[in-house]
Amino acid sequence: MSDTGPAIETSIEAETDTARGDSGGVDQQTAETVLSARDLEVFYGDERALKPVNAEITEKKVTAIIGPSGCGKSTFLRSINRMNDMIDVCRVTGELRFKGKNVYDEDVDPVALRRKVGMVFQKPNPFPKSIYDNVAYGLKIQGKDGDRDAQVEEALRRAALWDEVKAKLDASGLDLSGGQQQRLCIARAIAPDPEVILMDEPASALDPVATAQIEDLIEELSRDYTVVIVTHNMQQAARISDRTMVFLTGGELAAFDDTQAIFENPKSQRVEDYITGKFG
Amino acid sequence: MARKEYQKRLSELRDDVLYMGEVVQERLRMALAALESKDDELAEEVIVRDSEVNDLYLDLERQCTDLIARQQPVAGDLRFIAASFKIITDLERIADLATNLGKYTKQAQRDVYPDVDVQEIGAMALEMVEAAMDAYAEEEVEMCYAIDRRDDDLDALCERASGTVVRDLIETELGMETDEGEIERLLSDVSRVLLTVRDLERVGDHAVNIAARTLYMVENDDELLY
Repeated sequence: MSDTGPAIETSIEAETDTARGDSGGVDQQTAETVLSARDLEVFYGDERALKPVNAEITEKKVTAIIGPSGCGKSTFLRSINRMNDMIDVCRVTGELRFKGKNVYDEDVDPVALRRKVGMVFQKPNPFPKSIYDNVAYGLKIQGKDGDRDAQVEEALRRAALWDEVKAKLDASGLDLSGGQQQRLCIARAIAPDPEVILMDEPASALDPVATAQIEDLIEELSRDYTVVIVTHNMQQAARISDRTMVFLTGGELAAFDDTQAIFENPKSQRVEDYITGKFG
Repeated sequence: MARKEYQKRLSELRDDVLYMGEVVQERLRMALAALESKDDELAEEVIVRDSEVNDLYLDLERQCTDLIARQQPVAGDLRFIAASFKIITDLERIADLATNLGKYTKQAQRDVYPDVDVQEIGAMALEMVEAAMDAYAEEEVEMCYAIDRRDDDLDALCERASGTVVRDLIETELGMETDEGEIERLLSDVSRVLLTVRDLERVGDHAVNIAARTLYMVENDDELLY
């Protein structure tokens, strides 16, 4: 995670150092906060998808985002690494700070940002290339030096896939099972050595065994990375996350607390009604 | 409201716990009546019908585990099920204690220690169980605390009663010239009365447990637990 890569990444790192080091700075981040939303709002055209969100996401923890369909949870997730930029009518106001630096500042390169804040999607989407190339791709575009074979192996090991594919690295990534493909996508996301991994329902298309493997993997990953995961499966959120954000209809962040508190004694009646299945 | 089948099962669980509470209170009433009137037949009925309470307990235990396994309850629902699971254990133990009273009634050959008002102790313990089940039914937080305070009165009453029996034994009985048979009967009387008092005191403890679990269920407050 010490690799800085292209210029704008250096800019993110430098800003971070300033924010942490300068007591007179505007941004007094705690050591554990890696992502911080300040009055973050997202609009699609005239429609507001996210009411002002204020939240701090802790380093090397799993933060789950739950809520009914259309509540803005994916919108919030995608705003973290500017995936919403790709939608023409999307407009973002407020701030989303990654290690103190607002990712919506003009000098931030979204591509460089996404190497630091990687993403795994609902449907496994490996490239139609070999298993090896799928992982090496991210390293190549980053121009990362070093022993490429060792880097690929390391990423595959961290994604708990190495033992299953080490004898067939030249086989197509598309020939793997759904669960293996998803772990390959996770290997691809972690190869460039990100700090944050965003996951948008990463196990919803998988069978129970593959789901359990992904859940185990998420727990492993949280030792080295900050994981933010959107899930429709509330029990999954309860099982794997340290902290839980609950978005309710209208794009409102209704609760953000320790997962145990959310699932045992939520402070808000609306959150209780949602998680006990009384609506939504 | 979503999850209609789930809501129905939660509601059934609550009704069934309350029903078990009614049955257990009735058993305790019967046991106290048998003790007072030295009615061996009624005492035997209390003993025999304990298996009905055990069956209710097992059925409720299965309902709770089934809800946890298949419905993944959370938040208030989870606390309700966890509390109910514990409360049925306390109810089952109260029924066992009522059965003990039935056995003591059948063992008793004669009236002893009229100074010890077992019925007064029994009435207070029964009243605490009634109040605890009302608190569970109505989710009454204040009543939970009141039951906890009432247990201090019951404990004091029981301590006085036990003291009376032992003092009486020391002061009067030991000085008498008695044959072996009389000593055996005396020991039997003393231990029976002491066990009766102790069991009724335990009924009060179970009522406090029910109140403590109810408080946790309603307010996520574990203050009364231990």
